[in-house]
Amino acid sequence: MPPSIHSIRHPIAWLAAIACLLPGMGLAVSAPTPASLGRAIFADPGLSASGAMSCASCHSPAHAHASPSEGLVPPGGPGLDVPGFRTAPSLRYLDMTMPFGFDKEGTPVGGMNRDGRANSPLEQAARPFTAPHEMANASPAEVVAKVEHAAYADDFRAVYGANVFADTEGAFFRILFSIEQYERTAREFRPFDSKYDEFLRGRLRLSPLELRGLALFNRPDKGNCAACHPSARGADGSFPLFTDFTFDALGAPRNPAIPATADPDYYDLGLCGPDRIDLANRRDLCGAFKVPTLRNVATRHAFFHNGVFRSLSEAVRFYARRDTNPEEFYPRDANGVVQKFDDLPPALRGNVNTLEVPYDRKPGQTPRLDESEIAAIVAFLHTLTDGYDPRTDTADPARSLGHDD
Amino acid sequence: MTRTRIAAALAAILAFAPLAQADDAGLRSEVAELRAQLQALQREIATLRQERAPVTPASAASAAAVPAPATAEDRANRDSGTQLTGYAELNYNRPTAKAAAAQADLRRAVLGFTHRVDDTTRIVGEFEWEHAIVSADDKGEAAVEQLLIEHEIHPSLGLRAGLMLMPLGLLNERHEPPTYYGVERNFVETAIIPSTWREGGVALYGTTAAGFSWSAGLTTGFDLGKWDATSDEGRESPLGSIHQEMQLAKARDPSLFVAGNWQGIPGLTLGGGVFTGKLAQGMEKYPAADARLVLAEAHARWQSGPFDVQALYAHGHISDTEALNLTLLGNPTPVPESFWGGYVQGAWKVWERDDSSLAPFLRYEAFNTAAAYAPAPIGLAPDTAPAEHVWTIGANYWLNPNIVFKADYQHFDVDDTKNRFDLGMGYMF
Repeated sequence: MPPSIHSIRHPIAWLAAIACLLPGMGLAVSAPTPASLGRAIFADPGLSASGAMSCASCHSPAHAHASPSEGLVPPGGPGLDVPGFRTAPSLRYLDMTMPFGFDKEGTPVGGMNRDGRANSPLEQAARPFTAPHEMANASPAEVVAKVEHAAYADDFRAVYGANVFADTEGAFFRILFSIEQYERTAREFRPFDSKYDEFLRGRLRLSPLELRGLALFNRPDKGNCAACHPSARGADGSFPLFTDFTFDALGAPRNPAIPATADPDYYDLGLCGPDRIDLANRRDLCGAFKVPTLRNVATRHAFFHNGVFRSLSEAVRFYARRDTNPEEFYPRDANGVVQKFDDLPPALRGNVNTLEVPYDRKPGQTPRLDESEIAAIVAFLHTLTDGYDPRTDTADPARSLGHDD
Repeated sequence: MTRTRIAAALAAILAFAPLAQADDAGLRSEVAELRAQLQALQREIATLRQERAPVTPASAASAAAVPAPATAEDRANRDSGTQLTGYAELNYNRPTAKAAAAQADLRRAVLGFTHRVDDTTRIVGEFEWEHAIVSADDKGEAAVEQLLIEHEIHPSLGLRAGLMLMPLGLLNERHEPPTYYGVERNFVETAIIPSTWREGGVALYGTTAAGFSWSAGLTTGFDLGKWDATSDEGRESPLGSIHQEMQLAKARDPSLFVAGNWQGIPGLTLGGGVFTGKLAQGMEKYPAADARLVLAEAHARWQSGPFDVQALYAHGHISDTEALNLTLLGNPTPVPESFWGGYVQGAWKVWERDDSSLAPFLRYEAFNTAAAYAPAPIGLAPDTAPAEHVWTIGANYWLNPNIVFKADYQHFDVDDTKNRFDLGMGYMF
């Protein structure tokens, strides 16, 4: 039985009573943590040279931590006019990604970024702060100085020590650590609340069209998508991440919307450069990019590393018809010859995967998927969007926010 | 009053003492004689115990046609203390359609022990290496095949606890190469009954005077969460792909088994068994949370003179897989609702000298690892597998009952690319 108000006479008893009541009144103020700092840093546009670009600008929480822009590659820099090179991937479901390495068969696996060059979310968080086409700070010290004067600077000191800003390098590391903690602990980065997740839990059924799409997605003789984007629960009951963490060279068409492609000698070769430099001599890996998770893929506005396709249907159609109808995707040269895999130097086009289903076709053969089958797979891929509401049969990744543990 | 009685007794003893002394030598002689008789009786009892048929679980005993090598359990029953046991199997397979796929394999080498703690209790262990080399980069496996304690509660009733072989079928419990015909174990008792199949748990076993042996137990079971719809392992052996072998086994749902054999007529064995248990092991939010396996089999064996005939039928059923299979649509190996297999086999010992013998045999098997699936939406139902029919003709040559050399040819009616010649050798001790 709680004490009556008249029985509380001692000041300590008053404090105790207030402390007990505050949570119930919604007035509790939780102490700052590395993760809460990370959330603040992630959303702070003041940490960029332009003062208008934060991590969230390209990894919007409401857009499944991917680009909210319908534009191709969002420009950055001090004036937000420096064009980028690659589409921004979603940051959701990345926490299971292992550091980059080679498995025992020699296959590259893991890592962050489309070329896997960052081994952890912490390492990944460092690059955009100083990338000229992104947040464009001159140095990590400039980032630290901005945090030192941010609204959450006192919280930063409370968590990491009053003198934390005296050590610039140490403070920058703690900024990255905070972001990583946010990404690793906030449930919004891994809500597993899509329609498909509910289906895997046995709580609902997919529609006939979605089921057909799932079957085509899995079938080794049709889409064969699950070969790289596994769709089944693991032996430990874990939910599928729709990536096997490997890399593949798919030969996506060159995208002239990326200004850099105006230079005929410019090629984004993924694992072997130019952004990544440690594998520059592994020419056999040129053109290979990370197999991304397909969760929330239906919320994307641009597909593949260079955003060459602007709709999910186009992207799926590319898989099915790349080898039977290459003229639909690649330009012709002056002699009318289709320039297949034109975003790779001719000498490296042999790296493109042409052996596995559905690529194992030739012009004149029937594509592995027809239009109705492509539509079914697209319908299925829509079930992978977070924030599913069974009452309206709609999904919105923004619904996954605010449910942190 | 009490004192008077004690005094009277003392007086009587004193009165008869000289008489007792006089007869002391005779008594000593008599005691010595009795002692000798007692020792003789003890020896006889020990001999009878060693020769007595052991209380074995409900497995089919081998008798006439196949030489009767001692299994690890039998041998241990006849001996005392700690016994080292073992067996091995080395096979050569040569597909007729693809000689390049010919393969020689040290299929398994097994060492075991049986330690008799006392007259009623023993410890049995078997440790297996498969495919010769076990390392991170090799395909071999090391496994504990059995590890159990047996305690005889009564001459006709025993208790077993630990990792034990399931007493279903003719082969699972007696799988040493000299005990069966053919280079490879038959398909029904590998694809349908997943030999060598063991579970952890407790069991009672016993025999009756009418020749009925039985066993029943409560054990671990299978884990449907291990089902890999992208692999063909579940197509080769549905239960073999989800067995746990007591390796960090999920044990939320215990399984039950009951099995028995009747051997009331010399040479004849009639038996069967049932194993059932839930497969989800309590996995949360799982679309096949109530899936249950029922595996049942019946078998018969008749061994008379040079003839050895046996037949077996096994049927498995997994319930409540409809929702799970929907999540696996399009994958090559959904979870089957039913699978079955049966075989008949006849062998004839045509030659015998001392411990050596030769027996040709013929076996016909039919089995289907994916005979039916749970209902699926129209147009999305997975294809059931056709039943495979296999003829095996060959011969076993026993150098002695514990060493065997084998040769056979196997013909597959459906997938004739699997037709092959097999050679094998095996031993047990």
